[in-house]
Amino acid sequence: MWRAVFASLIMVPALWGMAGAAQSARDFFGSALPANPHAAEATSIGSATCVACHSVEKTQFAHTQHERAFRAGALSGAGGGSGDHTCETCHGPGSAHAANPTDASSIIRFTSGSATPVAVQNATCIGCHEAGARQHWLGSVHEARGLACSDCHNPMARTSPEGLLAKHSINEVCSTCHQDVRAKFNRRSHMPLPEGQMSCADCHNPHGTLTRPLLKTDSVNTTCYACHAEKRGPFLFEHAPARGNCLNCHDPHGSNQQTLLAMPLPMLCQQCHTMTRHPNDLQTRGGLGGFNADERLMGRSCLTCHTNVHGSNNPSGARYHK
Amino acid sequence: MSKSSLVCLCIGSMVLPLTAGAADPSNSARITDLHFGNALDLRGWGVALDLPAQEGMSLLHPDMLRTPSGALYPYPSAPLAMQQADNGWLYSGSFGGGYVTTFGDDDSLWFNQYADWGDDFIAQFSFNMEHPQSGRFAEIRGTHQNENNQFYRLRAGQAGRYRIEAFYRDVPHLISTTARPIWNGVGTQELTLPVGLTPGTSTVAQVTAASLAATQRTLRVDRTRAGVSIEGELSRRFTAYASLANEQRDGTRLWGGSMFFAFIPGTGGVNETVRPIDFSTTDTALGLRYVGDVWRANVSYAGSFFRNRKDRLDYESPFTLTTVLGPAVPPAGVISHGQFSLEPDNDYHNLRIELSRQLGWNGTLSLTASGATMRQNDDLLAPVTCNGIGGIFIAPGVDYTFDCADWNTPAALSQRTADARIDTQMLDLRAVFRPTSSFGWRASLRHYEEDNKTDYLAYNPLTGQYGYISENGSQGSVVPGETGIFDPGNPLYASYVVPIRNVPFEYTQTTAELGADWWLGRHSLGATYSFDRNEPEHRERTRIDEQRLMLSWLYRLRTGGTLRLSYEIADRTGDAYNHDPYHAFKSISLPGFVMPPGGLTAHTTSAMRKYDISDRRQEKMRAIMIHPVGLAATISATVYGNYNDYDAAIGRRGTWTTGGTLQWDYQPTEKITFNAYLGYDYSHLRIANVADDEGNLGPDPNLGGPVYPLANRWTEDDREDSYNAGLSLRQVFGQQVLDIGYSFVYTQGEIGYDYESLGAVAGTQQGLAGMIGNGFPSNYYRLHALDAGLSTRLGERWTARLSARYELGRFADFHYLGFADQLVYAHRVYTDAGPTRRYDAGMVALMFNYQL
Repeated sequence: MWRAVFASLIMVPALWGMAGAAQSARDFFGSALPANPHAAEATSIGSATCVACHSVEKTQFAHTQHERAFRAGALSGAGGGSGDHTCETCHGPGSAHAANPTDASSIIRFTSGSATPVAVQNATCIGCHEAGARQHWLGSVHEARGLACSDCHNPMARTSPEGLLAKHSINEVCSTCHQDVRAKFNRRSHMPLPEGQMSCADCHNPHGTLTRPLLKTDSVNTTCYACHAEKRGPFLFEHAPARGNCLNCHDPHGSNQQTLLAMPLPMLCQQCHTMTRHPNDLQTRGGLGGFNADERLMGRSCLTCHTNVHGSNNPSGARYHK
Repeated sequence: MSKSSLVCLCIGSMVLPLTAGAADPSNSARITDLHFGNALDLRGWGVALDLPAQEGMSLLHPDMLRTPSGALYPYPSAPLAMQQADNGWLYSGSFGGGYVTTFGDDDSLWFNQYADWGDDFIAQFSFNMEHPQSGRFAEIRGTHQNENNQFYRLRAGQAGRYRIEAFYRDVPHLISTTARPIWNGVGTQELTLPVGLTPGTSTVAQVTAASLAATQRTLRVDRTRAGVSIEGELSRRFTAYASLANEQRDGTRLWGGSMFFAFIPGTGGVNETVRPIDFSTTDTALGLRYVGDVWRANVSYAGSFFRNRKDRLDYESPFTLTTVLGPAVPPAGVISHGQFSLEPDNDYHNLRIELSRQLGWNGTLSLTASGATMRQNDDLLAPVTCNGIGGIFIAPGVDYTFDCADWNTPAALSQRTADARIDTQMLDLRAVFRPTSSFGWRASLRHYEEDNKTDYLAYNPLTGQYGYISENGSQGSVVPGETGIFDPGNPLYASYVVPIRNVPFEYTQTTAELGADWWLGRHSLGATYSFDRNEPEHRERTRIDEQRLMLSWLYRLRTGGTLRLSYEIADRTGDAYNHDPYHAFKSISLPGFVMPPGGLTAHTTSAMRKYDISDRRQEKMRAIMIHPVGLAATISATVYGNYNDYDAAIGRRGTWTTGGTLQWDYQPTEKITFNAYLGYDYSHLRIANVADDEGNLGPDPNLGGPVYPLANRWTEDDREDSYNAGLSLRQVFGQQVLDIGYSFVYTQGEIGYDYESLGAVAGTQQGLAGMIGNGFPSNYYRLHALDAGLSTRLGERWTARLSARYELGRFADFHYLGFADQLVYAHRVYTDAGPTRRYDAGMVALMFNYQL
């Protein structure tokens, strides 16, 4: 711990000295217009000019949370009476585009084939949506892999209950790329995503966190405890793999075994439990019901006796029997 | 950040709890409750007749645009017309009601697991209102499928100023629909045997009769969750947020009940019982966010308070125990009552501070510090609940009995409450720089620490003995001396190795990462190196190091799509592996321990390597492609592989997962949307183990020694194939919308095994040499699901929707072989007959909606 503190104390002032020009925080309405690197000389023309051609876009946009915020800002005078620049707040100054609308680089665009670099697109969004859930966007796996905000969001139309998503729900957005994970939710045991009860974003923050799998808390277990608070304990007698990482035994997305187990029982337990006497015997089909029944194999296998496997609070529970 | 801002930040974080009361409602940072829906309303939007906007998204292009990665945006819906009230508010909404009915095998677990279909009235509503001049808004929506499956959510606020949110939801989870518990009192803390069974003295025939007579019932857990949250701007720079939520979880789950082994014929007893669930969890969060020109900050507190109203389970075991010495030496008393401690109440607190500073070179430096504690101090139950005498009396001087009165009271404990506590600390420092448009680099250092402060000594001040009475007193009543205790003053118990302390598992993890990214035209490259050091306490290793190299490549196709490739290689090593690091927690560490004449029996084989800390070489590969086809179609595909090789002669030896998906999306006009997908996944896991020679137990832990002879080695392989396919079609005909969907899932698991000799095989099965074979029967899960829905307009404001789902499923799990006919196997009684083996079931729902 102290080594990390020490390293931090050294790094902070070192990097502090590198501080230079910083990007300003901007509010929705009345904020500075983003610069289009391909049309540096462009000037603002106002939204009224934009909607002369983009009338349908205006209609759809009018039903989004974005429009609500812009409209309220305009009416409150946040723009200092400089007029409505709603479109240009995201798309940059529009004069070059108005002059040459077929030039794809004349305006900041957020869709496929855009001449605007993804980093510039994202910086435009982050300019207002900075900090909070997006405080660690820069450097996150999604940012580093070149994802754009508009890969997951469509700020121009309301196609989802909330979040202005690019598809109808969070899960549909995520499965655009993570199709294999979606397939896991179709397995025998799964989190209730296919049944509409939860979303990927209940556990993951796609905008970047301090963990590689974009978990919302400091560790796997803390994320799991958010719903499974009873597993948090602490218990008088802990089970090392359970306390260490829930994923040692469970696959949280879906499994072909009971209760999201990563592999069949008793094989799961026998990966570690080679202790003398009963744990290390090979169980075979001869131990199934109808043959020479063996409780180490049947039903819930080891868990029928070692039931409190997540940890026991019983003074006689060192082996999770009680 | 100016000094005044810093002071304001600190003061604000202290004052806020007094003024506001919840989590960061910027949604994606909040844990849980981001999506509201159910089987009747998967997306949680409840749109009765979702007609597309005829003009699409633009007059300038009739087709839909694509995301930067190349996926098509869906056509937008026709916006709902807003009504205007006299006071300037605009509003829209709909409400509807109807009925759902089911048919076929509608009690199947697979049909109902989280959907909970049944004959019931259904309802759905949504109401939106907004005041354009002020930016104020309110939205409320909800869907009622049944009383255990419904949600209601309110959002209101003023754009750019504040937002409040309140919700209520019920979420079902069916555990078993084939449970036949023999006990009375299911759902309570007291399971008693029915008339006809006597605790501790019933015959197998009597237990079988009771099981056959038991009523089949459904075991389920229902969650009811409600919460409120608020987020508001305190100033242009500061935003405060607060949330409070409570969850009640009620129901029953399958549980256990051990009265020692039953695989030694006629000795112990195994009970699959049912436990109650009566949980309450209150979660709260408070926070303050600062967004400045240069600084960003987030200070937050999260608390979670779990309460278990039924924190023990007492049960009666029907089985008659006998000793391994035979009928001539019976147990000294009747051991028939078992008890579990269920999860204790616990409190959790987390304080987190995140600071980020904008730097030159288009960089950001972030420092996050987080501290948390989880605690519980529940009263401890007595070690046993038996009465009278337990254990075995063989002869004077060979008396392995114990007096239950010395152990069935909390006075037998060294402490009355658990006093358990784990503290965690996290410090994360990271810097990201994007100095040019073609190059960036990043570095991070993360330190995480868990400190387990729980300290429990299993010592009985009434007897002066250490340890505890094992398995409710049953073990010592079956096997002479295996009572579970160590007694330095009694030669009979002076050499027993028993647990006498808790093991306070904890660890420290430090991760350093350095990465760089290049953007070169259509190509992006990334390379990251990470070093991870894990230092666990009281584990087989005290240091585990892992180095990892991650490479990624993004190529933006000329067609507008993308190809993303990533590859990782990691190598995990560590210090020397100690196969038995637990001496300090066993009686061997106590004064007075007498080494047995042959030495201590080996705890386990020294060749064992636990997979979470063993040496490992890992490789991962993933490719994701999104490829536009014309203006209206997209082909997307994923291919992946994950290979792990563990350096273990005994333990997990390797895993291999590979698979791929292929999807076609097609939306030629706003009236047609079609999607089809295929997927395949294969996983393979290998373990090795060795059965000890129980007739030759001794101290030698070496593989190949007398205790773990090579002839007793065995291996096991689990191979799983998973197939997925599906399609969906949405077609709009005028004022009607037809939805059709089909999905298919087939998974098959094959466990094969091999062994050197019958010495590796469980004793119960060694006599079945001809039937042992080389694998278990196949496990499989096959599901065909067909969904159909038709929405139509009935009038200017009335719409109707008819929806249906049909499922056809097949399932097999060898663990439940024979359970459909019989739940009692000698001294074992099971409750759950296992999930539904074959079923076809469906539901039909009709709902009428009125549009305001």
